[in-house]
Amino acid sequence: MPVWQRIYEEIDNPDFVIICAAQDTGGEAVAGPIFDAAGATYIQIVDENHRISSLFNFVNVPSSAWIDETGRIVRIDEGTYSQIHAISDGQETITFGNDVYTPALKDWIENGENSPYINAPEQVSENIRTHSKEQLKADAAFCLGNFFRVHGHNDLADHYWALAQTLNPESINFFRQNLTLTEEGSAGNTFRQRISEYISQGKDYYRPLDI
Amino acid sequence: MMAFPQLRHPFTTSALHPPGSTSVLYQGKTLTLSTTGADDELLIRAEDLTRINGFEVKAEGVCLGDLCIPLQDTFNVTLADQNWFNLSAFARFIGQPFVADTQNRVWSFAEIPAKRESTLSAAMAPEFELTDRKGAVIRMSDFKGKKALIVTWSSW
Repeated sequence: MPVWQRIYEEIDNPDFVIICAAQDTGGEAVAGPIFDAAGATYIQIVDENHRISSLFNFVNVPSSAWIDETGRIVRIDEGTYSQIHAISDGQETITFGNDVYTPALKDWIENGENSPYINAPEQVSENIRTHSKEQLKADAAFCLGNFFRVHGHNDLADHYWALAQTLNPESINFFRQNLTLTEEGSAGNTFRQRISEYISQGKDYYRPLDI
Repeated sequence: MMAFPQLRHPFTTSALHPPGSTSVLYQGKTLTLSTTGADDELLIRAEDLTRINGFEVKAEGVCLGDLCIPLQDTFNVTLADQNWFNLSAFARFIGQPFVADTQNRVWSFAEIPAKRESTLSAAMAPEFELTDRKGAVIRMSDFKGKKALIVTWSSW
């Protein structure tokens, strides 16, 4: 989040907006302090029902779409890292992210349709994931689970969240959101095993960055 | 596995809605209807349809903007001399998935496929309406004339 704020300030263009949507059933209580700590001045949304992911067919965070002045999507669905990140547990350091996405974004803001980083319409259409009726039904189940959760009907919340994952097993968002509330967290062994299976099936949980 | 039950379920139990009411979830909003018909189908008053999903019952069909769905016999139900619009039948007809907890009278509707396909298939950003942290309503269409980066993240 602090990096996106820095980039937003560097771009400093009144005709450019960042709409940053936390996909978080924990709501303002968990997402708000992170926005605040970043000093965010761009548009901040706490999206408890993961609507942005549903509308743009994203399966994981962070994901993004570039929208031009006419409302056309010119780039979509890739692991949206603003820089290279490093995480260390004291023994091993894992790096992820990249240092090419942000310069590409800045090029698009400056050069618009002449930027080499926008995709042709047919490429954009190809990059938009399909979202089947089963997956749409999963979105409805997820929202129903949230409704029961905020009313304290816990068994029903769990039931419909499980249904959402059954209906849309490709949603890393649903899977990890639920894992967050377990002891091992969203990046533990269960997550790693699931991702390993996912990749072995030839699936991308992030579309490879093509820059 | 449940190490953080206080996080998983931090809310105290409260009534879902007033007794006899039905809650309808669609596009991130919850609408409580005070009057509905039978429990196994979602029967609503025709005037509530627009509040739920923007559609309106007209002579030419059930319409939202240029999209008009021809009226079907299954859409109209009469029970005890009361006329109802069968929203669940309408959803099935237009291929709109939904999940219902009929015991608790809560119905959750997914996006309407025809509306999604008309935008995404043309590589146009879908319209949405969400409230930001300042309480402002944010719509995709608000940003015509500007470039926008939409980026998701999470605390997890």
